[in-house]
Amino acid sequence: MATTEQRDKEEQVDVKTDDGSPKIKSRPIVQLGIFLISHSPVFSVVFSAAGVLALLLLPLLAKNTYISENALMPGSARSMLSNRDVSDGSKLVNNIKNFRLNHEGQGVEVQRLIGKYMSEMGAEVYYQKFHPEGNQFHPLHFFSGPDSDTLLGNVSCASYGVNVAGIIRAPRGDGKESIVLVTPYDSINGGNYEALSLGIASSLFSLLARVTWLSKDIIWLVADSRYGDYRPVAAWLSEYHTPSFKASNLVKCDGVNTSDSFRRAGTMAAALVLKVDGRSERFEDTLSIYAEASNGQMPNLDLINVVNYLAVHREGFYVKVEKVVSLLSSSWLKIVGEIFEAVGKVAHKLNPDWNFSIPAADYLEGSATLASSLYSQALGIPTGPHGAFRDYQVDAITLKVSPRFPPDSKARQHDFFLRGAQLLEGTIRSVNNLLEKFHQSFFLYLLTSSSKFISVGVYMIAFALLVAPLPMVAASLYIDGCNAHTKSTHNPAENLKSWKWLGAAKQVFALHLLGFIVTLLPYIICQVPGQHSPTNRSIMWATTSSSLLLITSVTIPGCSPFSSRLHGTNWAVLKSVTISAAFIGLCLMSIINFATAEIGALLLVPMCLIVRPLRTDLRSGRVKSLLRALCSMVLVTIGFPVMFFAISRGLTGKGLVGLSLGGEFWTWLESLWAWKSATYLYIGMVHLPCWLLCLCILFSPS
Amino acid sequence: MTKDDGEMAEEEQKKKKKPCRFWIWALTSVIFRLILISFPGNLNLSSRPEVSTPLTSIRRLAEGYWLKQASMSPYAGSMYHGSPLLLSVLGPLTVQRIQGQSFLLCSLVFVIADILSAMLLRGIGKKLQMAYGLNARLLGHLKSSRDKGILRCGDIAALVYLWNPFTIVSCVGLSTSPIENLAVILALYGAVTRRVPLAAFGLVIATHLSLYPATLTIPIIFLLGYGLDAPPIKLFLQTKSVENEDRSTSSVSKQAKLKPTTGLPFLWKTVMHFVFWVLVWSLWLLVLCGLSLSKYGGLEEMFTRTYGFILSIEDLSPNIGVFWYFFAEVFDFFRNFFLIVFHVNILFLLLPLAIRLKHRPCFLAFIYLAICSILKSYPSVGDAALYLSLWALFVNELTDMKFSYFLFCGYLGISLLSPVMHNLWIWRGTGNANFYFGNAIGYACFQIVFVVESVSAMLNHDRALRKSDSNHREVKN
Repeated sequence: MATTEQRDKEEQVDVKTDDGSPKIKSRPIVQLGIFLISHSPVFSVVFSAAGVLALLLLPLLAKNTYISENALMPGSARSMLSNRDVSDGSKLVNNIKNFRLNHEGQGVEVQRLIGKYMSEMGAEVYYQKFHPEGNQFHPLHFFSGPDSDTLLGNVSCASYGVNVAGIIRAPRGDGKESIVLVTPYDSINGGNYEALSLGIASSLFSLLARVTWLSKDIIWLVADSRYGDYRPVAAWLSEYHTPSFKASNLVKCDGVNTSDSFRRAGTMAAALVLKVDGRSERFEDTLSIYAEASNGQMPNLDLINVVNYLAVHREGFYVKVEKVVSLLSSSWLKIVGEIFEAVGKVAHKLNPDWNFSIPAADYLEGSATLASSLYSQALGIPTGPHGAFRDYQVDAITLKVSPRFPPDSKARQHDFFLRGAQLLEGTIRSVNNLLEKFHQSFFLYLLTSSSKFISVGVYMIAFALLVAPLPMVAASLYIDGCNAHTKSTHNPAENLKSWKWLGAAKQVFALHLLGFIVTLLPYIICQVPGQHSPTNRSIMWATTSSSLLLITSVTIPGCSPFSSRLHGTNWAVLKSVTISAAFIGLCLMSIINFATAEIGALLLVPMCLIVRPLRTDLRSGRVKSLLRALCSMVLVTIGFPVMFFAISRGLTGKGLVGLSLGGEFWTWLESLWAWKSATYLYIGMVHLPCWLLCLCILFSPS
Repeated sequence: MTKDDGEMAEEEQKKKKKPCRFWIWALTSVIFRLILISFPGNLNLSSRPEVSTPLTSIRRLAEGYWLKQASMSPYAGSMYHGSPLLLSVLGPLTVQRIQGQSFLLCSLVFVIADILSAMLLRGIGKKLQMAYGLNARLLGHLKSSRDKGILRCGDIAALVYLWNPFTIVSCVGLSTSPIENLAVILALYGAVTRRVPLAAFGLVIATHLSLYPATLTIPIIFLLGYGLDAPPIKLFLQTKSVENEDRSTSSVSKQAKLKPTTGLPFLWKTVMHFVFWVLVWSLWLLVLCGLSLSKYGGLEEMFTRTYGFILSIEDLSPNIGVFWYFFAEVFDFFRNFFLIVFHVNILFLLLPLAIRLKHRPCFLAFIYLAICSILKSYPSVGDAALYLSLWALFVNELTDMKFSYFLFCGYLGISLLSPVMHNLWIWRGTGNANFYFGNAIGYACFQIVFVVESVSAMLNHDRALRKSDSNHREVKN
């Protein structure tokens, strides 16, 4: 990305060389740059359209996954799982069911029962208490890595969860590496399906306790999912990696004794989270894979490949990745798919080597999955408990299995346990073979199905094409602005030709600073004493932000959209600086979280490119100018984050108006910052300032 | 970067109105630093590779001090590589804890160092501004004696120094580079104001702290020998000859008696004075260092552990320079050869630049510092802060500098990209060393473009003067 940026910048330089300096025969690359910049309107339309087209083409360009790390060798060993192991699992499930029928609401006892089973199998067992609330917004903790949030102060015994973990020491290992298996289980109000995951895991555990090939320790964590799936796993991981040496108050609470018993098993090579829920709608058992962790990070593709390979080719699961269902029935996407299919067929006829055509139905499926992948990466919120592992650089995925039978059918249960445990056994055996941590395959990719992916080298093209017009237009506007300004002032003392942009940069900087403050405001608003509804909080936020904007526009003339004169700068230079700021922001964001940058670019790039002072356009009265004015008005309206949120909500069928929208928006943002999503920072520090600047340009006098 | 230039723009507009604006902005910058210092844990700047290098990190200094207190050599354990004198000055401050913050006193020392540097820069700027006005009047470009239209480069440079995010970050991030910068600026200030002992003192201390300022000997000797920055000497001779021709019809004036010489007189006496003082201060410094390290291996230990560490690039942890990556890759038996090649780079550039820019010694000092910052073994943003503020001293000459906006965007983008790349590599594990190194290469490229453009803008400025001067003459004739 940096190279693209540099190249784009080079073009900018080259053109600036040209202006002013004595006429020298310029090099071809300089001429190319000049050519691009002088025709920037045409090229920006072409590049933007190509960017959107490339985005639509992505499902076609997806490659089949392959196992890149040779050491994994999935499915090369025969499964050693016996019926005795499976019956162990069934026994545990039955015991838990019976226990829960007899003892209502005795949370800790179920954990004790599981712990007893684990230790009978020969594992080291310990319990961990944790406090359910952990996600606190702190503006400065965004990128500081995982922190041991030690909120040991007022912890009450009223609500806490208990995790059970068992460790099998590997006979051939040295205790420095481990593989983690997590089964979230809610012992109080968990359904019957949830207990099945314990059955699968305990079948597997019973096998692993006696095999000789293990070289990495196995940790089985039964996470207490009473307060959500994520929190118990995060609390356990935080204790595992950053132990707090202060004694927590929770230790004193009654129940199980947890002091001084936390055990570790070295660095984690991989983690698998197993969940069983709901009945499968299909004929086969269904396995859904969830991989997105916080800020759009993905586990190594090899892990998904291994699971997918074993599930499809050995165990006969129907494997799926989440998709946006509403897109499957959208007619325009279907038409696009059919067009691509037709073009592909024509191309195949022309040259039999061109085989990029895929059926329209596959295209539809692929784009629905891609959209879901993009959406969950862009939100930056992990799609399951596996997200907690990624914060510690551990590759992890969540496997959600839906059996095709009702939960109390004994006969089918045995078969289900067998297949589930065999899948996990195969995966663990593959990971067990690894000598290094996962590094061979991709970390940066998008999934279009469980066996197809788009690598970073392909999807970056779409983004690069989309943002390529920004530096070109910035350079051409800069040159225009400078020339116009030099003509208007003939005072030699003020002829700082090369420093014209300083005034505009000041304005852009002021608005970005404002955006930064607005981003931090929720932290202060959350500190306001008293209980406030999200709607009230959003009103507080809106009023403070707008009053801040007012103060800025009064103190620094030119920063308000409605000031009568722009202070010494003309709009072209301002727009050029704005576009540069947007370009830098988008490029940075594309490295932090690609999906956010892509969606942001789709909104921001057309808005930044098209916006021009409204007054000139209206005054000229030509159809073209009026059309452009209309377009920029529409784009600026959509570009406002709240408006975009409302529109996207409206599209998904949850239309909102008025104050409830504010409350909803606040809740949404709260979820973003609670999960430390960089998308929140992007909205506040890149998108909002650029939107304000576009507003300034729109209402500026020519 | 945004901030500093934003403020600069502000200043440029306001400077004509009131000089007290300067003090308001300076005070604000100090308050801003103090606010930032009060959140040490949250910012965690002192562990950033961009801010603290193995040479400038205060944590390493504290470690060295601890070792010394425990009657061991401060250089034991390969943690500390700085000066033993800095250890004696800052060391006691590192152990003082105030309200649970361990390095509060040190940060205050750095803030004071920054303020002093800014004041000295302002002093240098005033001198340079006066010289610029004087030269312009001598050459006949400026009729009035009011210096109208000349930017107050001292104020601008001081504010650029105080408000530059790089300076702020290295001050708040507890690296010792503010003190190194202060020593360099002190040397230049001494030379500009012709206080020879002060210049020698600054130079010796700066060289002692970070070795690379030794290159400044050449500009300082030029400053003392030839005087402040001025247009090339030929211009004055031409102007004088024009004036002489004008007056030749009248009675013989004093000026006519002056034979046009081919160069300015070089003040050998002052330079010898300077050399003497350099020797005196070096001796003093060596004695002090020798005393403080007498029990732990003496001066030899100091030279191998400080200068040896700088020159042999032992620490290959990532930084914003380009050496670490290369020397992590290179085979051991080529290592010495490439060490020589890399270090000779700086030496090769010294002489041609000195010849070309000998009429502008301050500018030469700026160029040397910028080149050192590119080719340093352990660079940090503190070095960039120093040369950027020195660059601001020449705003009058460099008004027509090209690519200013492009460079600004580049510095801004690189400095934002660097932490992101580091995060991707170290914390997320999805990137690798090439990501961060690519960023370092980009940074080096932008610095090179910056240096090249500054030099060419300065030479163009001189050329423009000559052209306008010859035009002037033609008109008169």
